[in-house]
Amino acid sequence: MTRITIDGRDLEVEPGTTVLDAVRALGGSVPTLCFDERQAPFGACRVCLVGADGAPGPIPACTTPCRDGMVIDTHDETARRVATAVVELVLSELPEPPAEHTELAAVARALDVGEPRWPGAQHDGDHDERHPYLAFQHELCISCGRCVRACEEVQGAFALTATGRGFTANVAAGLDAGFLDSACVSCGACADTCPTDAITELSLLTPVHPRPA
Amino acid sequence: MPDRFDTDVTTTCGYCGVGCRLEAHARDGRIVSISPALDGPANRGHTCLKGRFAHQFTRSRERLTAPLIREGGGFRPATWEEAITRIASEFGRIKAQHGPDAIAGLASSRATNEDCYAMQRLMRAAIGTNNIDNCSRVCHSPTSFAMRRAFGLSGATGGFSDIDFADAAIVIGANATEGHPVAGARIKQAALRGMKLVTVDPRRIELADYGALHLSPRPGTNAAVMLGLANVIARDGFVDGDYLAERTEGFEAVEELIALYPPDVVEGISGIPARDLEAAAHIYAEADDASLVWGLGVTEHRYGSEVVQLICNLALMTGKVGRPGSALLPLRGQNNVQGSSDMGALPDTYTQYRSVADEEVARAFEVRWGVPLSRENGLKIPEMFDAAVGGELKAMYIFGEDVAQTDPDTKHVVHALKSLEFLVCQDIFETETTKYADVILPASSFLEKTGTFTNAERRIQLVRPAIEPPGAARTDFDIITTLSRALGHDMGFETPEDAMREIADLTPHFAGVTYERIGRRGLQWPVAQDGTDSPILYGERFHLPGGRGRFAALPYKEPGDAADEEFPLILVTGRRLQHYNAGTMTRRTANLQLLDSDWLEIHPDDARRLGVADGAPVKVRSRVGHIQIEARLTERIEPGHVFTAFHFPEIRTNLLVGASADVNTSCPEYKVIAVAVQPVADRAGVPTLTAAAG
Amino acid sequence: MPYQSPRRPGSNNLVELVRRHHAEGAPTALQVLKDAMERRGEITDDDRRVAAERSRMPEAAVHGVSTFYDDLLAPRGERHVRVCTGTACFAATGGAHVDRLGDGLGLQLGERRADRSVSLAETVCLGFCHSAPAVRDGDTIDAGPGVVDRVLADQARPALEPQWRSVLGEPVLIRPGDWSGLTRALRELTPEALLDDVKAANVRGRGGAGFPAGSKWELARKAAGEQKFIVANGDEGDPGSYIDKYLMERNPALLLEGMALAGYAVGADHGFVLCRSEYPLSKPALEAAVERAHADGLLGVDILGSGFSFDITIVEGAGSYVVGEETALLACLQGLRGTVSARPPYPAQHGVHGLPTVVNNVETLCNIPFVALRGAEAYQALSPGATAGSKLVCFNERFQRPGIHEVRFGTTTRALCEDLGGGLIDGRSIKAVQIGGPLGGILPASQLDTPFDFDELAAVGCMVGHGGIVAFDDETNMRDVARHLLRFGAHESCGKCFPCRIGLRRAHEMFAAEARVDRERLEALLETLELGSLCAHGGGMPAPIRSLLTHFTDELELA
Repeated sequence: MTRITIDGRDLEVEPGTTVLDAVRALGGSVPTLCFDERQAPFGACRVCLVGADGAPGPIPACTTPCRDGMVIDTHDETARRVATAVVELVLSELPEPPAEHTELAAVARALDVGEPRWPGAQHDGDHDERHPYLAFQHELCISCGRCVRACEEVQGAFALTATGRGFTANVAAGLDAGFLDSACVSCGACADTCPTDAITELSLLTPVHPRPA
Repeated sequence: MPDRFDTDVTTTCGYCGVGCRLEAHARDGRIVSISPALDGPANRGHTCLKGRFAHQFTRSRERLTAPLIREGGGFRPATWEEAITRIASEFGRIKAQHGPDAIAGLASSRATNEDCYAMQRLMRAAIGTNNIDNCSRVCHSPTSFAMRRAFGLSGATGGFSDIDFADAAIVIGANATEGHPVAGARIKQAALRGMKLVTVDPRRIELADYGALHLSPRPGTNAAVMLGLANVIARDGFVDGDYLAERTEGFEAVEELIALYPPDVVEGISGIPARDLEAAAHIYAEADDASLVWGLGVTEHRYGSEVVQLICNLALMTGKVGRPGSALLPLRGQNNVQGSSDMGALPDTYTQYRSVADEEVARAFEVRWGVPLSRENGLKIPEMFDAAVGGELKAMYIFGEDVAQTDPDTKHVVHALKSLEFLVCQDIFETETTKYADVILPASSFLEKTGTFTNAERRIQLVRPAIEPPGAARTDFDIITTLSRALGHDMGFETPEDAMREIADLTPHFAGVTYERIGRRGLQWPVAQDGTDSPILYGERFHLPGGRGRFAALPYKEPGDAADEEFPLILVTGRRLQHYNAGTMTRRTANLQLLDSDWLEIHPDDARRLGVADGAPVKVRSRVGHIQIEARLTERIEPGHVFTAFHFPEIRTNLLVGASADVNTSCPEYKVIAVAVQPVADRAGVPTLTAAAG
Repeated sequence: MPYQSPRRPGSNNLVELVRRHHAEGAPTALQVLKDAMERRGEITDDDRRVAAERSRMPEAAVHGVSTFYDDLLAPRGERHVRVCTGTACFAATGGAHVDRLGDGLGLQLGERRADRSVSLAETVCLGFCHSAPAVRDGDTIDAGPGVVDRVLADQARPALEPQWRSVLGEPVLIRPGDWSGLTRALRELTPEALLDDVKAANVRGRGGAGFPAGSKWELARKAAGEQKFIVANGDEGDPGSYIDKYLMERNPALLLEGMALAGYAVGADHGFVLCRSEYPLSKPALEAAVERAHADGLLGVDILGSGFSFDITIVEGAGSYVVGEETALLACLQGLRGTVSARPPYPAQHGVHGLPTVVNNVETLCNIPFVALRGAEAYQALSPGATAGSKLVCFNERFQRPGIHEVRFGTTTRALCEDLGGGLIDGRSIKAVQIGGPLGGILPASQLDTPFDFDELAAVGCMVGHGGIVAFDDETNMRDVARHLLRFGAHESCGKCFPCRIGLRRAHEMFAAEARVDRERLEALLETLELGSLCAHGGGMPAPIRSLLTHFTDELELA
């Protein structure tokens, strides 16, 4: 049995339980961006960093399994500082602030992310709105991989992929000719999990998120 | 933060029997988005394109928004008062002239438990007849029949979570990734994680690509396949002797019978190579926990109910039932196939499948309803049509079902409907069936009503209205209880929840069911008085006298139809992902942009022989009818077989389906139809789509 | 009741598909795409469809692969010229060779002439650091002074290969592999005894992290799995390092022997070497060695009548630095996008095809035959009082005597640079050296007395890494070094974790701009990279920048 202490509270967990699950089991919260409880932990966004006694630096809560005797501080100053900087970086790559209803906006609010200190290149606008229900807005993609994993691990359609490398990483359906020309089964799991509206329901685009004419 | 939606309501999907929990988001009285509920026990935060996107039909201009009364060659709008008065007086007249059994009602597997309960109460108490049935007759009645025989209760022995715990599974006659997409996705994921999956289907369905083994039996030979699997299991020493001795009865006869079905004999009958059959039996038997999953490819056959019993034999032989991962899971076609029958919308049973002839049960209902009740079984759906044609049945009240489109032998059905003196239809759209109605009542969709659905894992889940019915349309529950009052029988229900209280009072398996307890997670019946539900059945005893599971020694028999010289191909029908049944709902959504026609799948070898080109129009003839349709070549189907879906009424595929039906339950044999296919010169005969109105 | 996590799906589906299709003989998507690129000089959607069909992988996954690797991106003309932009080449010219070549050919990096006659692409690095700058013209790698002129005159000639020497009386790593270690192990040692020897010898990984090889082996040996694998990490991507290159090309048998020994100890029956496409000679050399070993009965079924069977497949990458990270390497080996995965699960439990896999660096595995033959004590004695065993180091073209040297751990860096490397050419002096690749700190001349060993170098913000030693001479502009390193870092980020994906881009943007660099913002960004990144790429890139901030503050034009 594994015993772990989180913010001064003790918890017994089954071996293999992640720190994030343990935090949530205690009713606590750690902000996340690439995590979706329907999918295997991914460890890409680094927003769920927490402090761990004895660790050389903050650890990602979503991919770290609890170890016996572990002492976790979800308010660790360094972890919060780094996580906030990461979200700041994410905001800096988007051509416009995320829509308020999105998970990204909620995380940015929770971490009180200010004006990006590192402005720079942003992603090119590229839209696919040919599918009757699903729309791509590639410039809003933050490469969290949630849509790709939803397609692979929840639906099993394998219609989506990460593309490119480094800063130019993005997402595409099939051979990047849009949802209609891919193996997409239109389940919408990608739109459901997307934290930024890079993939969203077409019907929700127009009234809430007007695009320039 | 500005709200994107005015209301967010958690409800249960009204499409297939998986029972996805949905969050319906509305603005200005319209559904603008639906997302999956993260805590939905069956869907766990997932849903398919039907549940998620196909809601535009709710605001279609074609929705029925006022009662319609036949006048001259057409219909005129009427007030509710006039419509109800008209129905009450006609039913009254017919009952007076011909007796209550001249009237029949059809409840709907699409409707809520409370709607179905009210409907059967209306027929039984307000009219006085047991002529009440529901559309599960044409899909899963064989499952219900067989599982009651083998195990005692009519329902899955476990739930979808068993798929996560199974080391192996056999999926028989179910194209789950199209017909039950969320369950199909779950099976696919399990197979990718290492669950050994065997698929049994005349077509190489998508799941076969992810499985360990695919078996393609000739249509109609499922029984031989199950007997062959049992043969190998017994031959190779996989029978669980202790389980057999302690928990079952009747194996001796099965043992003798299955000896007649060694793999080579079954290969001769089914076309499945003997070594594949042996491998499949080993995959199932060697697994610590293995589940059996089936769909309409098993049931919609002449001996469909017997095949289900033979499937149950496999689980009894190996003791693979009643624990996590070892379950028997019928994939129910419609959202409330389970519930509509649980509720007693059947000609021979009250709630919980208790016979109308059971004196004690009947008396309990008589006391509660304050009227005398018939002890005679009523008519099943096909019998109703026969009786209408024969002149004994004079009136029908059909609710939420398009029998002229979906039932077999369409000509006969239409003849029956035309023969009636009085037909009431209650639906959300005009349909093929409403063409023959005298009164059409505008009803509500699942997004507009309160109640409960029971999914394929016996889980009773709440349905909540996200929007109002359009115009003067009313909820089905409201209509049925109002009509009952007009017929002189006030049910005393203000709300569907009142009906559930009565169901709980009168039904032991629902004893502890309350809306509060159902909550967000649902309850899997039987539900004890204290609210304890039953995710897994038969862990300790079967629900039969003596508590033992019953083997069934049923030999293979040839299907009702067979290929011959004149009709050399076997047509199998099924579903496609994008549409749902007759397409009444999905065709009124943008799903039509994703798929806008049916087609005939034919193997390239057959196509070459018949001179059929890919994409060319063909004529398909059966013993009872013919249709024209576009052909598409695919190697996913075996030579000798052809396949089409039935989502487009224009094609009228069911014109091809004859009267052959399950011997025990009258479920039609949709899955084995001998046909001839020939190319036709031009497309003129292939029905084109009627434009879908938005 | 202890808390139990919800059951979640595995993230293993593409790997599972690869496993199934591999079992049925399908090639990987990457292999098919590489072939298409070789044949036709570009990848079209038709090629992707063919690759999907042949590999039986989803089209989307194939598309993802085709947009990840450098080799699949730059279009190729009939004559394809690849210019090395590695650190040694940068140290030699400050980048001038790249501009001159581009101007001469009239092409930007990544461009192809409209008539498809000539194309120019960037490559990092060709492993000719001893003779920089290097250019690959078609199949010819030319390097050293005059290379640009020769290429422009279409007169490229093969560059000279480097020398290699050992300071040890009896070389461990540059002696030709003779399979004597395996022969002895199969006759005299049980797998457990061999594993114990390797653990006792404390063979530390030579790929960068210095993780004990024996521990990895033990984990894999204990892991449940119907099959297990040994993977030799030959993706020596560190610019400035060419050690593994020559181990694979000159001494492939020693590597194969080390792999077979690992297989024997771990219970694996198959090995893979992933070598780099930037080293076009590695794969043929290894394949020829495998063939010889087969002929000699040293690989294959029932080796030397011992009952032990082991075989090896050689796989070539497609241009990605991060693929040197072990989880990314496994992804590449399986033909997937070479992105890093969070650990756990570790490759020892969940590697190739989802099965237990040992991933060791090439040089690490080359140490094993000595341990098997001579035992742990003899191995420990190679570097008295320091990390066990010996180490290959290599010097860049700035040194008088560039080349590869087998040395003892614990020697001072100065001794290496001056005694072995002979100091710099042309009377230049060392301004700083970068050791162990782009993720290693930069050691100023003032700290050259630091002993060359894991802990000692770490104490001054540096690392052993692969053992490449790149000297920057006194004329080098250290802001240019920062810009060079960050350009490389941003280009090579796999794009998975956010700090690295965005942060390295931003760090490069700060130095690429004309403006002064705000030190406070830079330090905050470096902290985010260092503490936030998923792997050593984003986590390590701050190390050299911090060295520069510490030792060359004035040159960085900070604000």
